[in-house]
Amino acid sequence: MRARWHQSILIRAGLALLALLLLFGAITVGINLSYNQARAEQTTEERLSQLLDTVESTASIACFTQDEILAQELIAGLLRNSEVLSVAVEADDQPLASLNRGANEGTLAEASSTPILVREIYSPFSPQMRVGRILLTPNQALIKANLQRETRIAMLQTALQTLLAMLAFAAAILMLIIRPITAISDRLHRMNAAEGERIPIPAGHQGSEIGLLVQDVNRLADRLVETLEEERRLRIQHAVDEQRYHAIFNNAETGLFIIDERGYLSSWNPAFARLMEFPPEAETLAQRSLFELAWSEQGRFTELLLGCIDADQSRSAELGYRLKDDSQRWLSMVLTPIADESIQGVIYDVTQHLEAERSAKRSAVTDRATGLANQLGLEQQAKELAQACDLHEGGGFALVLLNLDNFTRISEGLDPAASNAILQEAAKRLCSNVKGSDLVARISECQFALLLAEIQRALDVEHIMERALHALQQPLVVASSTVKLQVSEGIALYPQDTDANITTLIQHANLALSHGGSGQLRRMRFFNPGLARLAEDRYRLETALHQAIELDQFVLFYQPIVDIGQGRLVGAEALIRWKHPQRGLVPPDSFIPLAEETGFINEMGLWVLEQAGHQLAAWKRAGLERYLSVNVSAHQIPSQLTPEYLEDLAQRLSFEPSRLGLEITEGVLIGDVGEVQTWLEAVRDRGFLVYLDDFGTGYSSLSYLKRFRVDRLKIDKSFIRDLSNDLSDQALVQAVMSIAHSFELEVIAEGVEDPRQVRLLRDMGCRYAQGYVFSPPVAIEAFTEVSERIPKLFDAIAMETSP
Amino acid sequence: MLMQDRKGLLLLLLLFALLMSQSAVVAEDSLVVVMGSDSDVERLTLEQVVHIFLGRFRRLPNGLTATPIDRPQDQSLMTDFYQLLVGKSPAEIRSYWSRLIFSGKTAPPRQAESGQEVVRWLAETPGAIAYMRPDECPPQLRVVLRLGP
Repeated sequence: MRARWHQSILIRAGLALLALLLLFGAITVGINLSYNQARAEQTTEERLSQLLDTVESTASIACFTQDEILAQELIAGLLRNSEVLSVAVEADDQPLASLNRGANEGTLAEASSTPILVREIYSPFSPQMRVGRILLTPNQALIKANLQRETRIAMLQTALQTLLAMLAFAAAILMLIIRPITAISDRLHRMNAAEGERIPIPAGHQGSEIGLLVQDVNRLADRLVETLEEERRLRIQHAVDEQRYHAIFNNAETGLFIIDERGYLSSWNPAFARLMEFPPEAETLAQRSLFELAWSEQGRFTELLLGCIDADQSRSAELGYRLKDDSQRWLSMVLTPIADESIQGVIYDVTQHLEAERSAKRSAVTDRATGLANQLGLEQQAKELAQACDLHEGGGFALVLLNLDNFTRISEGLDPAASNAILQEAAKRLCSNVKGSDLVARISECQFALLLAEIQRALDVEHIMERALHALQQPLVVASSTVKLQVSEGIALYPQDTDANITTLIQHANLALSHGGSGQLRRMRFFNPGLARLAEDRYRLETALHQAIELDQFVLFYQPIVDIGQGRLVGAEALIRWKHPQRGLVPPDSFIPLAEETGFINEMGLWVLEQAGHQLAAWKRAGLERYLSVNVSAHQIPSQLTPEYLEDLAQRLSFEPSRLGLEITEGVLIGDVGEVQTWLEAVRDRGFLVYLDDFGTGYSSLSYLKRFRVDRLKIDKSFIRDLSNDLSDQALVQAVMSIAHSFELEVIAEGVEDPRQVRLLRDMGCRYAQGYVFSPPVAIEAFTEVSERIPKLFDAIAMETSP
Repeated sequence: MLMQDRKGLLLLLLLFALLMSQSAVVAEDSLVVVMGSDSDVERLTLEQVVHIFLGRFRRLPNGLTATPIDRPQDQSLMTDFYQLLVGKSPAEIRSYWSRLIFSGKTAPPRQAESGQEVVRWLAETPGAIAYMRPDECPPQLRVVLRLGP
């Protein structure tokens, strides 16, 4: 491409230069002109003045003598100079002579306006005496003509210089700039940069601006080529990516689509069409809106879309979709706003997932055996009911917990299917005695729960439950045997019996249940705040009990056991006492059951053994051969108090195992027969004595005595209390004595309170006795004194017999 | 102009020097300008004498035309006279007159051959005027101006 002529650098630079030179020339000429004129005038004046000098002496003489001839001669001489136009000589202010150059009118007229050179003339003999003057008129026209000629020459010279300078400049521009640029430009047009072609630097331009420009252009070309290459690579990569994404899009199992804010689809993948059951030709159909599709709940889709648009964030929801076969498909839809006010959607079938989840949820709240709700289901339902009640003030409901007290025992002898049958029957009976809207749940192995809605008063519950209880307690036949269920129940009412918390409500019902269980006749019990207080007391006591060992609040009391045949002290039963700083001496009945329930009995038992061991060791060191027996709870046998531990204890504290008696109750023997038997044998093998405590009160059975080998029997104090008067008790004790003898067991009578009893027992052949007649349980400090008192006491008792 | 000033100054200095030397000469050689005793001119000023001898005005106060007489044969007298009168040498005076002779309008003084001729011309030519040393001045002549000390 060529530059248009008026845009060419050459022309533009030339014009600029021309203008500059013209301006410069005009100024120069102007200055010259005015300067030359002034100079010309001055030199003319000087010349004329010098001319006058040459004639001054002559003029002086001419004027002095007023000699016209001489004056005229002088004038003629002056006029020979062409610059002189006219000369006049005056002597003594009178014209002496004057002469004009034979000139035309014009010069004369001009002469009148031009200045006249005047030279005063003095006498040749007296320099002070003026004798006349010369008036000389210069020839201005001639001077001016000369000046103009000179100016013209100067201008011509300037013009010539300008022209030459311009030519030189144009040549320089053409050679140095325009031709290289044109060459570069031509080369650029033809250059194939991608092929590696570059512009050569014009000759002689290495290092010049043009050379640098060419280098820059070449570098730019390099960069452009690189960029293009990169761009091309990216484009290919992009195409590959796009193809890949397209494949993913088409092959995805998940439905993908893009909609606008009005729900109109702009694109979707085959999976989407499949999930939505679009006809195969849907691709060709005109736009359709998701709003027009067969959603089960149109509102949910609208809500999802608007939520997504409003929040400008991803939103998801599960939507039901009606299929052509009228079944429902559950779709999880995630909408994400993308650019251009479009929304990208992902959709997939969650029908199976949802159903699995629902069934899992259902099974989570369902009891498998009965198909009733389980604990979780009960809690959920109770919460819902509570919310409903809170909304409608004045409403309320009852939570009834039913415990099948004897179910564990019954089911022990039955196979699981039969047990289930019992539970199912119980469930059926319960369900048939409550309203359809009430919930029946099985919340543990042998516990059912009822939620009775719309209950205002306890009396309403009582009516319903009496009926239900009656039904439950009817005999039922399972595995060809008749079973009768024993049921206890605890009832708590919402909202009266709770602080608006369902967990508390269930706790309270449980409290009522556990307290109801103790009364044999009244198996139905309502919660009342007193129960809560009791529970709280119990909780406090429990807490205190756990700290008792640490705080050293336990002490052992010792009750002497006396050989009533020989009248001497043989040992003692160690009994735990709790010295509570506020409560005082807490009776064992108040804390032993609690300790057993909470399992603290194990810890406590060990403490007792430890103390007893120390005492035995002390006696041994004192040379006293005494037995000491401690109570062992059923909880401790067999694993909590191992024979190994006992052996270790005896060794550690160095006492004789045969001096330590472990008092167990008959209840122990009811547990796991094999384990208990093993324990007993192991303990006895190690030399420890085993006493069977409270003999005669429990399921005393001769077969036990046969199976479980023990060392001594302790006859329960209830048989001793009325021994003196009650003949049947006497007969009973007598019978025990004979059994003991036949099993070679020694017998200890407990609760012996008066000397008559002592005598009776001795007569019956009972060897040992313990009781208030000898001493109450006392602290170890008092025991020595007691032990010293016993022989005297026994003598007194024996003396009573002699009269 | 400067050159002219300097020239003028030089001229002035020269003139002054001449005057000084002249005065020394004049101390002995004073001159008198005389006219015939019949002329009714009693006195003339130096300027009037200059004008008359150098041809500017030759009219006497009484209206007669004055006729100056030179004494070229007595060179020293003539030298003294012009020296005293205008401070110029006879050569300069000759040069002066040579320029004027061309036009012919003014003539130089009459050239007397001798002192007697001067006296004679003074007597016979009304308005004749001449110069001489005071000691050679006859009594019939009237001194109109005394030059020198």
